[in-house]
Amino acid sequence: MSAPPLLDVKDFGLEFRTRSGTVRALEGINLRIHKSEIVGLVGESGSGKSVLSYALLGISDRAAKVTGGTAIFGGLDLLKASEKTLADLRGREVSMIFQSPRTALNPIRQVGLQIEDVLRRHAAAPGADLGKSLRERAVQALREVAISDPQRRHAAYPFEMSGGMCQRVMIALALACRPSLLVADEPTTGLDVTTQAAVMDLITSLARERQMATLFITHDLALAADYCDRIVVMHAGHAVEAAPARALFTQARHPYTARLLSSTPDDKTRSAQSLQPVPGNLPDLRRNDLPGCRFADRCERKTEQCVNERPALAADAAHSVACWHPLFGPPSARSHGSEVQHA
Amino acid sequence: MNETLKHIKHVLSENPVTMLAAALFALFVLIAFVGPSIVPIDPLASDATAALKPPSAAHWFGTDALGRDIFSRTLVATRLDLGIAVSAVVLSFALGIALGLAAGFFGGWWDTLITRTSDTIMAFPLFVLAMGIVAALGNTVSNIVLATAIINLPFYIRVARAEANIRRGAGFIEAARLSGNGDVRILAVHLFPNILPPAMVQVSLNMGWAILNAAGLSFIGLGVRPPTPEWGILVAEGAQFIVSGEWWVSFFPGAVLMLAVFTFNLLGDALRDIFDPRRRT
Amino acid sequence: MLDAAPLVNKLSPTPTPAPQAPTAALLSLERLHRRFNVGGGRQLHAVDDISFDIAPGESVGLVGESGCGKSTLVRLIARLLDTTDGRIVFSGDDLAAIPAKRFAKAKQRPAIQMVFQDPTDSLNPRFTAREAIREPLTLLTGMKRGEADARVDEVAAQVGLPAVLLSRFPHQLSGGQKARVGIARALAVKPTLLILDEPTAALDVSVQAVVLQLLEQLKRDLGLSVLFVSHDLNVVRLLTDRVAVMYLGKLVEIGPSEHVFRSPKHPYTQSLVSAIPGQGPRIKLSGEVSSPIDPPPQVCRFHGRCPRGEDRCAREAPPLRMVGSQLVACHFADPAAT
Repeated sequence: MSAPPLLDVKDFGLEFRTRSGTVRALEGINLRIHKSEIVGLVGESGSGKSVLSYALLGISDRAAKVTGGTAIFGGLDLLKASEKTLADLRGREVSMIFQSPRTALNPIRQVGLQIEDVLRRHAAAPGADLGKSLRERAVQALREVAISDPQRRHAAYPFEMSGGMCQRVMIALALACRPSLLVADEPTTGLDVTTQAAVMDLITSLARERQMATLFITHDLALAADYCDRIVVMHAGHAVEAAPARALFTQARHPYTARLLSSTPDDKTRSAQSLQPVPGNLPDLRRNDLPGCRFADRCERKTEQCVNERPALAADAAHSVACWHPLFGPPSARSHGSEVQHA
Repeated sequence: MNETLKHIKHVLSENPVTMLAAALFALFVLIAFVGPSIVPIDPLASDATAALKPPSAAHWFGTDALGRDIFSRTLVATRLDLGIAVSAVVLSFALGIALGLAAGFFGGWWDTLITRTSDTIMAFPLFVLAMGIVAALGNTVSNIVLATAIINLPFYIRVARAEANIRRGAGFIEAARLSGNGDVRILAVHLFPNILPPAMVQVSLNMGWAILNAAGLSFIGLGVRPPTPEWGILVAEGAQFIVSGEWWVSFFPGAVLMLAVFTFNLLGDALRDIFDPRRRT
Repeated sequence: MLDAAPLVNKLSPTPTPAPQAPTAALLSLERLHRRFNVGGGRQLHAVDDISFDIAPGESVGLVGESGCGKSTLVRLIARLLDTTDGRIVFSGDDLAAIPAKRFAKAKQRPAIQMVFQDPTDSLNPRFTAREAIREPLTLLTGMKRGEADARVDEVAAQVGLPAVLLSRFPHQLSGGQKARVGIARALAVKPTLLILDEPTAALDVSVQAVVLQLLEQLKRDLGLSVLFVSHDLNVVRLLTDRVAVMYLGKLVEIGPSEHVFRSPKHPYTQSLVSAIPGQGPRIKLSGEVSSPIDPPPQVCRFHGRCPRGEDRCAREAPPLRMVGSQLVACHFADPAAT
């Protein structure tokens, strides 16, 4: 991609101060999203994918503390921006949709009014058709997410709608002001396969139509492969592999990615015994003696180097991996400061 | 058992305020037990010559209109007040939780009946209702206990009902049925222990309220009769002297009363922490 | 290729002769109905005229969207809920005749057990793992404490749960460990029918694989019949011999798993299978699901959303009929279609 990225995250680190210790939730994250690109962020629970997205939008938990790095969005470093700047940005330039649509919507307010609230907050949004009233624009937003009979549904409450419809309303809310970046945090978890497909189709078609960049967070690798241009795999707070979707499936380089793929049944799997689960457990991120590569203790290719040095993901390569002994291709480039300090 | 004691110690040591509350509670319980045996002066002994003397070395809290030692009387009253409060709360707890569980778990007309009864009780200003019950049934200690128990029922019914309602569709309740549990056993073995944490906070708050209740009833002449020492009566006896300057007659019993209620309120959080298995690591 | 265990297919109104000598079914659902009153004299048809069998040692999958009635059906079979109509014949006895409230004390209670979807929610937070697994033993088999504890150790080993974890509370266990406790609890009383309600839905991908392997192994070693409810079609395909597809309370397709997935005959099944990520072109469904409240009996439930909808579908609800190796409820199911 020759155009500069819309969002450029470099060496981002984050930790949480808790009563039982400091949780090193994210370390050395390199991530790039270009305009109208759909990037999938895949990882299991505890991988830090949601933490990352919340931090980028400035809505992290109060105990979170950024330990380093930058996240440049349209010339602005999101990590250093003031709350006021971020509040203006949220909903207008960057939007987010969440996992559980019913809890994300206000249960005692009509859905149409909730959309109008967003429109009113960002009244001077570019591309807004100021000729129309707020109500008309809200109805239009509902229509754009394929909600039938939007005039009537404007007055509906979330409990009157099905899960799939609530999710569409949330999408309408998020896209009302035509943001340039959409963060979708597990938007289809808990939905049925057919509804899931419909919602994903909607998101991707709107994204393409409006040239909107999308960061799609999920634990379902197969789903990401179906809809995303590129996929970034996360493990225990590290970004371990980034590749175009197809390439990830056919030539996964990181041992963790390969295991993720081999532990999920597909239509060719004949027996559960042929699945290869990921061995071991996620490391406790409160430890002071975490190995450089956090997958080391679960990996059969581990060496001294893996324990002492943290491999980093190159943000500019098409298919890059954070590993000293990847399954294919060259290992991570050695960088200054990748040696791990053990406290 | 060892595990439990370790856990209790851990909970208490976590928070200094909790430690304080526990210490005070232990002190009150101790006094309730041994108070009458260790009083320096007979609480009922009157001495007309020493009437209305301010606090001194001989009489730490001073003396009242009849020359009785206020310190001794306050100390001895601890047993009665705590006894009334504990009895009332235990009664209220047992009955209220049982009714609330039934209402929340079974729903239907059980729920309607129990909730309406609870609402009826709460419709009255509770102290007035207690007064009414004692006045109707007679001025005895057991009637104070009964009255206090009745007016506190709705709190337990409400807590138990809400918690039962939340949990009645829970997976582990269905699993309990699959394991062969009948309804009664589910309530007793599965639901009840799980509603204990919120209920325990209620117990502690109730203890404070029950003490105040008993004291209040005695203050206005219903319930415990003089010369039996009871904090409310002691405060009542001193009320007429506040204006004329003999502040100690009401002050010390009142302060001790306040301290007792305060202790129980603080204890509420500690009790909940002790009973909640999620706090165990 | 019906060389699997002998299958007895029961459909209404005419029974189809089985391909081999019939073995008595372990569980036989006969015209099962469950309706809920939703006020104003209206009724919600959660389970509508469902009939099928499960043979001993057979594993049957149950799939369908949320709202299709599979949770209700499963609770009817597990006797947590009463039927409105129909029979549940289990080893010769009609279980529907015993009210759910009293079933906890019935002699068949230990024979049908269930593993729940959310391992956290289905364990009593105040019971240790050992207490949770031991409870059905002491209540249903009359074992004494000592005997029961020995059995707990045995079944914990069977499910790969380290003995040291038995004294822990649920909040001290990981998701995978809690799932194993749930499975151990269900297996402790040696049921002949095990119902698995989305057992891996709440688990992480890497843990899922391990639990799936465990389930496959148990199925092989213990030879029990399994009813496997899941929305994850790849998993169902892996672990079941036959699969039943439900839609709005009705059975729309039932047949050998491999056949149903490779060549689904009902348009709904076709759309479901095509929606699995990685399956290629998706068959999109239009519109919203019809209401399960007082549905008109002569209209096909899928009509309105079906990519192929004709007048006949609104006049005549299609019965289940044999098409190829599956039973399908559609007028237009074609045995030759792939």
